[in-house]
Amino acid sequence: MTTDRTTRRITVDYLARVEGEGSLDLHIEGDRVTAARLGIFEPPRFFEAFLRGRGFAETPDIVARICGICPVAYQMSAVHALENAFGVRVEGPLRALRRLLYCGEWIESHALHVVMLHAPDFLGYPDAIRMAAEHGERVRGALALKKAGNSIIRLLGGREIHPVNVRVGGFYRVPSRAELMPLAEQLGRARESAVELVRWVAGFAFPRIERDYEFVALRHPHEYPLNEGRLVSSRGLDIDIADYESEFEECQVPHSTALHSLLKRRGAYLVGPLARYALNFDRLPEGIQALAREVGLGPVCRNPFQSIVVRALEVLYACEEALAIIAAYQPPAVAAVPVEPRAATGFGCTEAPRGTLWHRYEVAADGALADARIVPPTSQNQPSIEADLEAVATPILDQPEAFIRQRCELAIRNYDPCISCSTHFLRLALHRT
Amino acid sequence: MKRLLVLALGNPDRGDDGLGPAVAARLRGRLPAGVALRLCAGDVLELIEEWAGVDVLLCVDASAAQGEPGRIRRLDLAADGLVPEPALASSHGFGLAEALGLARALGLAPPRIVVHAVEGCHFAAGAPLSAEVAAAVDEVAERMLAEVAGFRRPAGDAAAP
Repeated sequence: MTTDRTTRRITVDYLARVEGEGSLDLHIEGDRVTAARLGIFEPPRFFEAFLRGRGFAETPDIVARICGICPVAYQMSAVHALENAFGVRVEGPLRALRRLLYCGEWIESHALHVVMLHAPDFLGYPDAIRMAAEHGERVRGALALKKAGNSIIRLLGGREIHPVNVRVGGFYRVPSRAELMPLAEQLGRARESAVELVRWVAGFAFPRIERDYEFVALRHPHEYPLNEGRLVSSRGLDIDIADYESEFEECQVPHSTALHSLLKRRGAYLVGPLARYALNFDRLPEGIQALAREVGLGPVCRNPFQSIVVRALEVLYACEEALAIIAAYQPPAVAAVPVEPRAATGFGCTEAPRGTLWHRYEVAADGALADARIVPPTSQNQPSIEADLEAVATPILDQPEAFIRQRCELAIRNYDPCISCSTHFLRLALHRT
Repeated sequence: MKRLLVLALGNPDRGDDGLGPAVAARLRGRLPAGVALRLCAGDVLELIEEWAGVDVLLCVDASAAQGEPGRIRRLDLAADGLVPEPALASSHGFGLAEALGLARALGLAPPRIVVHAVEGCHFAAGAPLSAEVAAAVDEVAERMLAEVAGFRRPAGDAAAP
C-alpha cells in the first residue's frame, strides 16, 4: 500500500474468502477513483481445448472438473447444449430430477457463501470460525443446509463433489421414491433454517448504494430459472440462448487471465442472484415474495451488498422447489433417453449459483467435439465488479485506507466470485519485424 | 467407557490421499465394539455435528509432501497444545484443520483429538498409493489400534496414550 497527498493506490494482493486467486488494485487521484481493477492471475486452465476431440459422452464429467463448488451447473449447461445439438428433449421426471440436482447445488453453494464466507464481513469477524463462537446457531443452521444440499447431490450425482451420474439424455441411474424420502425430511428442516437465514441476514447493516445495472438472466414461462429459458435483460434484451454471441462479446484485458464479457453496444451487465431475482420475482412462490417484502426487499434490488439477502431467499426457494419435486416424483421408465450424435452445433445456458453459464459445442458426425466455448458467470461479472469498486470507494475516499480496503473486499465478495471457473487461455500475439 | 470415533480421511482415487481409506480397511473388523469408524472423502464440515458426545476423535489422514514420504506423525491436539490455524482463504479451503477449529468454536469438538498423519508424495488422479506410503499403512493401523485400546482401558488402570 502506498500513499501520498494527492495520489493513492490501495491494493489487496490476495483476496480471501473467494474461490481462486485474485487481487484488487485501486488508483485514486485526489477525490477521484481513476482505476479499479479486479486482477485475476490464476493460470489459464485450457478446458475448452481439452474438450476438443473428446467424445460428447465424456463432456459432463470433464466440465464438472472446472469447479468444485458448482460442478452441477457445468454438467447441466453441457448436457443441455449437447441435447440441443442432437435434437433431443429431456422431459418429465428426468427433467425434474435435473432440477432437483441443481437445487442441491444452489443450497450448498449459497449456504456456504452466505454464512461462512460473506456474513463475517457484515458482523466484523475475520472469518466464520471466529464468528461461530457468538453466532453458533446460525453457523450450525448453515452446516445443516449445506449438508442437505450435499445429500441431494450425493444421491442424484453419486457423490457430492464432482458428481459422476449425469449423462447426455438423463442419468446413469435414477433413484426410487423410497430413496428420495429421507431427503424430504432433511429438506423440511433445511427449509426452516433457510427462513431464519433470510431474517438474519436481512438485519445486517448494509452500505447505502444503488447501482444502475443492466440485469441479465434466464426467464422461463413458469419457473424461477434453473435449467432453461430465454436470455432477457432489464433493458429489453430477449433472445434465444443460441443468439448469445450476436449480443455479447468477450475481450482480453491485461490484468486478468479471465476474459471480460460485455454486451455489444452497451458494455457491463450483471448476472447472478440480483439479476435472477429482479427479472423473475414474479416466478417466486407467493410465500417467498411475501417474506422478501417483509424483510424490506422490493421486487428489484440494486444494492449489491444486499445480494446476501437474495442468496438466502434463493436457498429458501431451492428448498421449497426440491420438496415439491420430491413430493411429485414418479421414477421414469428409463434413466436416460436415447441420444444419436450428429454433426451439429448446440447451445446450453443455465443459472449457476453465481449467474448464467453459457456453453456452445460443435460436434462432428462421430460425436467428437470439434469446438467448445464456455462463458462462466464470474467472467461476465468482472466489468460490473470493477464498476462497483469505483462506486463503492468514491464516497468513502476520506476514510482511512484500511476501511476503504475492507469495504472494497466486501464489494468483491458480494459476487461470490469463482475465479478458478473464470480463467481462460491468454491469447499470445507475437510481433516480428 | 469413553466414546471413541475413528475418522479416516481421503480420496482413494488420488494417490497418497488414499492413505486414510487404506488404513480404515485394515481397521475394519478389528475395532472393539462401540468404536465407530467413519470414512470421509468429501466435505469434512458435514461431520461436525456427529462429533457431539464423542470423547476421543482419532483421525488418520495423508499430509502434504515435505520431503519425507511415508513419515508417520502423531499430533495430540490436547497434549501438544496444537491448535490448527484456520486459514479460510478460499471457499474450497475447508479441510480438517478448519473443521476442527469450527467444531471448537461451536462447542462440538471432542475433548481429545489425535491425528495420525502420513506424509505423502504423489496425489495424482487415479494413481495408487506410493510405495513409501503403502509401506506405512500397517504400522499406522497397529498404532491406532493400540491407541484405541489405551483409551478404552478403565480410568486408573493406565494412563491414556
